[in-house]
Amino acid sequence: MSSTSTTRSAVAVEARGLTVRHGRRSAPALDDCSFRLPAGRVSALVGPNGAGKSTLLATAAGLLRPSAGTLTVLGGEPAEARERIAYLAQDKPLHPQLTIAETLRLGAELNPARWDAPHAAAIVEQGSLDPGTKVRKLSGGQRTRVALALALGKRPDLMLLDEPMADLDPLARHELLGTLMADAAERGTTVLMSSHIVTELADACDHLLLLGGGRVRLGGGLDDLLLAHTVVTGRGTPADLAPHLVVESRPAGRGLTALIRDDGPVDERWQAERPSVEELVLAHLRSPDVPALLTPGTTPAPEAVAR
Amino acid sequence: MSALTGLRPSGPAPYRPSGLTWTVLRLHRTALYVGGAVLLTVAATLVWMHAAGPATREFVGGCDAREPFALDCAPFRETTTYKVHAYALALASGCVTYLMYAVAAWAGAALTGRELESGTARLAWTQSVTPARWLATRLAVPAVLLTAGTTLAFLLGSWTRRAGGRGLSGGWYNTNVFVSSGPVAVAYALAGLALGALAGLVLRRALPAAAAALAAAYVLHEVLAGFRMSLWPAVTATGQAAFQVPYGSLVLEHGAVTGGGERLATNWSCVGTDGAALERCLERSEMADFWTTYQPESHFWPLQLVESGLLLALAGLATAAAFALLRRRHP
Repeated sequence: MSSTSTTRSAVAVEARGLTVRHGRRSAPALDDCSFRLPAGRVSALVGPNGAGKSTLLATAAGLLRPSAGTLTVLGGEPAEARERIAYLAQDKPLHPQLTIAETLRLGAELNPARWDAPHAAAIVEQGSLDPGTKVRKLSGGQRTRVALALALGKRPDLMLLDEPMADLDPLARHELLGTLMADAAERGTTVLMSSHIVTELADACDHLLLLGGGRVRLGGGLDDLLLAHTVVTGRGTPADLAPHLVVESRPAGRGLTALIRDDGPVDERWQAERPSVEELVLAHLRSPDVPALLTPGTTPAPEAVAR
Repeated sequence: MSALTGLRPSGPAPYRPSGLTWTVLRLHRTALYVGGAVLLTVAATLVWMHAAGPATREFVGGCDAREPFALDCAPFRETTTYKVHAYALALASGCVTYLMYAVAAWAGAALTGRELESGTARLAWTQSVTPARWLATRLAVPAVLLTAGTTLAFLLGSWTRRAGGRGLSGGWYNTNVFVSSGPVAVAYALAGLALGALAGLVLRRALPAAAAALAAAYVLHEVLAGFRMSLWPAVTATGQAAFQVPYGSLVLEHGAVTGGGERLATNWSCVGTDGAALERCLERSEMADFWTTYQPESHFWPLQLVESGLLLALAGLATAAAFALLRRRHP
């Protein structure tokens, strides 16, 4: 059980009724989201394309203004915590005309109070990159490494990473995830990273925030969320599964397989097993009408915001 | 590897740019070099023409005096000495006058538009730098350099023109001469910078921003060229004085008043006569009076200051709009 202490100081990100629109008339990218993320954890932000992941990360980085509601980051407005936040955008923007060394110098010049030059240099060297290479000559994965070095060199308290691993090879992914984990463990850095590939993050993260259609569908410790759900197989109809909440069911042979949110022990007629992270996420994404579940440490206010 | 670890020497001297200033200078190094090369070319040309001025004037002789368009001057205008002088001055004044276009296009494309298009602006804003500080440095560094460069260029320009005399330099009221030899040169460059930066922020893409900034610079250039001489009250002379406006004046309007009191604009009766010939012409003519509206050369400074003021006000408005837009979009 990864039950988290829920004192205010241990909260890294807290959203209350957060709504963000990209245009005045467009549909909201984030629609009335409320959740909190504990500090010092590595959280996965999961959801299909267009779920609002990038919008949430950019808002938390202080780049976008909420249309309604509030988002508190490290105890204040995101824009005020700018110095303590690192943000890696999805397309890893870097200045193509700079060399790697100059890119890191840029990090040093723009973060005079926090820059850890040896740390940033080590991440670049780990990838056997020549510091004199121009950024425009780097491959996608090499750019990601330099961008991550820029983010980590800042020694942030909160890292917001938008699809950080998408174009890394498995070896580099493993290395860089290791660096992130070590940072989180040693310095208590809070990491929130997004992906639409669930399995990519399952091993690295201990916390999950699932977005779908601009709303929070699931939020909480990964173990807590998995323990709250069961995959059942057996003969019967979804109605037979009451009082459990059926998230998703489908016919299997002469009976059915269903992912349920347990409410007490499951009847022994059913064969029960724990779901995988992927099963949990997919079941919730396929059933948008199922109420969201936020574990107690993840709800924003003392009174639970259950929907 | 001190470049990688970013070690900076401590101590006050010598001055080394740091922080955002370093970023702006490094990111726009190419523009800095090109701008420096243009300034060097202009300055070298002007110094050279200043040195060559007296000799050229002697060569051209009386052609720069009261009758610059006299027929016997035509052969001089075909000589290499004269042409080199004229073309060199035209090159220098052209560079300064059209600098606004280059600055506007660069500011729109490279300074703001491209950064917003590629996301590198967000990269800066998620370091320890607020968007407002980012924009302020992005405007201030080029503004200081442009002010220094154009000030040097216009001072050299007027110094060279004084040495060469009017016959060599063209009238003070010609657009390129006017823009390149007074403080209005500085104001044009700054207006181009502010308009370009605003275009980049509004459009958020490099190419459209450059196009919009060029269009804005063109409109500004043309409108001011059209209304330049209306920015300070012109002098109107009547009677005999209408035929003898001070040397170096720009005649805006010349007309005659008929015996019946009707004013005829662009009536050129008796123009070009002088002394006794003028007396006879006036007697013969059925016109009761003549008038000339002109800008004397002494209005050069008031005209420069009013136009500079207008341009700087426009630059200020564009800058304020840019900051307001940035503040509205980003926290």
